[in-house]
Amino acid sequence: MLLPIAAALLAVATVACGTTPDDRPATFEYITLEVLAPSCGTVACHSTTTKTEGYAFDTLDAARASLRRLVAPGQPDGSLINDVLTSSRKRMPPDAPLADEDIALIQKWITAGAQGL
Amino acid sequence: MRTLLVVGLALAGLVTHAHAYPQYQVSRDATCTGCHVSPAGGGILNENGLAVSESTAQWSGGSSAFLHGAIPPPDWLQLGGDVRAAAGLVGIRELSAAAYPMQAEVYASAGGRGFTLNVAGGLRSPQEGGSATHVLWSREHYAMWQSGGPYGVFVRVGRFMPVYGLRLAEHAIYTERYGGLPLYGEAYGAAIEYVTREFEVHATGFIHDSIADAVEHGDGGALYAEARLGEHAAIGVEGKYSASSDLHSTYAGATGKLYLAGPELLLQAEAELVHDEVVAGGTANKLLGYLLATHPVADGWLVDLGVGHYTENTAVAGLYRDALDMNLHWFATSHNELLLTTRLELLDHGTGPVGGYALIQLHYRL
Repeated sequence: MLLPIAAALLAVATVACGTTPDDRPATFEYITLEVLAPSCGTVACHSTTTKTEGYAFDTLDAARASLRRLVAPGQPDGSLINDVLTSSRKRMPPDAPLADEDIALIQKWITAGAQGL
Repeated sequence: MRTLLVVGLALAGLVTHAHAYPQYQVSRDATCTGCHVSPAGGGILNENGLAVSESTAQWSGGSSAFLHGAIPPPDWLQLGGDVRAAAGLVGIRELSAAAYPMQAEVYASAGGRGFTLNVAGGLRSPQEGGSATHVLWSREHYAMWQSGGPYGVFVRVGRFMPVYGLRLAEHAIYTERYGGLPLYGEAYGAAIEYVTREFEVHATGFIHDSIADAVEHGDGGALYAEARLGEHAAIGVEGKYSASSDLHSTYAGATGKLYLAGPELLLQAEAELVHDEVVAGGTANKLLGYLLATHPVADGWLVDLGVGHYTENTAVAGLYRDALDMNLHWFATSHNELLLTTRLELLDHGTGPVGGYALIQLHYRL
């Protein structure tokens, strides 16, 4: 029974790794809930449970407070979050870095003024 | 030092509280209740679980009971506990050292005649800027009624982890980290569960804990059903729905377990689809899968090889990652485990950033 599961997984993975342009909404809510919360806001990291370094990204309220300290609206290159996510040293998350597409989505949101903070 | 602490805290979620060793199911005991008091597995070991912990250790002798039998509890009380800590390296191209505490919990189950009160409590990571009382907490506390023995009907009410999918101790596996079974995903709820040697069904309705900074932010339900196919195989289906004011998530998937007696190989697999609807706008369809192969290499030694896949959004090209895991468990005695856990993670078939870690974990079962 493992073979069908593995085959189904492979088949879905093959056809589901999309080829369309990234049209995900570059909004504060979407970025927080779909990018930052699962990657950075896990319970022992930047969650409301631990608030490592004082940052939390697992809820909209907590992420808003955290991102206000990390984002310079309109200036992705001047935003601390951009440095942390793209640095060649001490890049975050340390064990599972964000995909380039996710970083680009965050940069797009910052460039547009970081609405929602 | 501060960097070490930060990295350590960041990784403390990788492999935290114990669910004992699901690697033993199918090959030894058909269900979690074969070894555990809880129908979900984890926590207090029953008599058979204590015997298994003794028989699978490299060095036998002494007592496998709570605190080595130094404080025998009365008949109406069962006790247990786990202490864990880990250290190692994270990253691939730029290595960082990490050292951190993980778990210090005591479990208690009190009662009789099928009715028990169950508590798991202890220490959790301190909250930066928070009060000292935040460190002390109870992860689980629930009342349970069971029709008798390790098999039959179980009814639970209180705070606990809804049963869902493969429940491995390694919480960094994708189906747990990004799927429907996140670390500390306990919620308040009610469950009715039916466990036999041939099949088991777990149905849970839950509401989020709004007091204890919970990981589960939504209200909803979870369902997991698993059927044995012969003596050494099982197949399961899973579903979960969770809705908060910000996010509606729907999970569905399947599991499979197969023990090959010849090569002594246990295979466990899970495939999961997740559909997220962000209330403010936007959706995401995610695909997760994990395949774990476990083989005993010597008395008291187990090796795991795992392969994981996570597509973060099926509509975006290249937005996926794959992991290759290797774990080496050494059960020195019935109370002590040393675990080497490693991961190599590739994004977009290695064209993106590379992640990973190599950690040594010490585990002492009280």
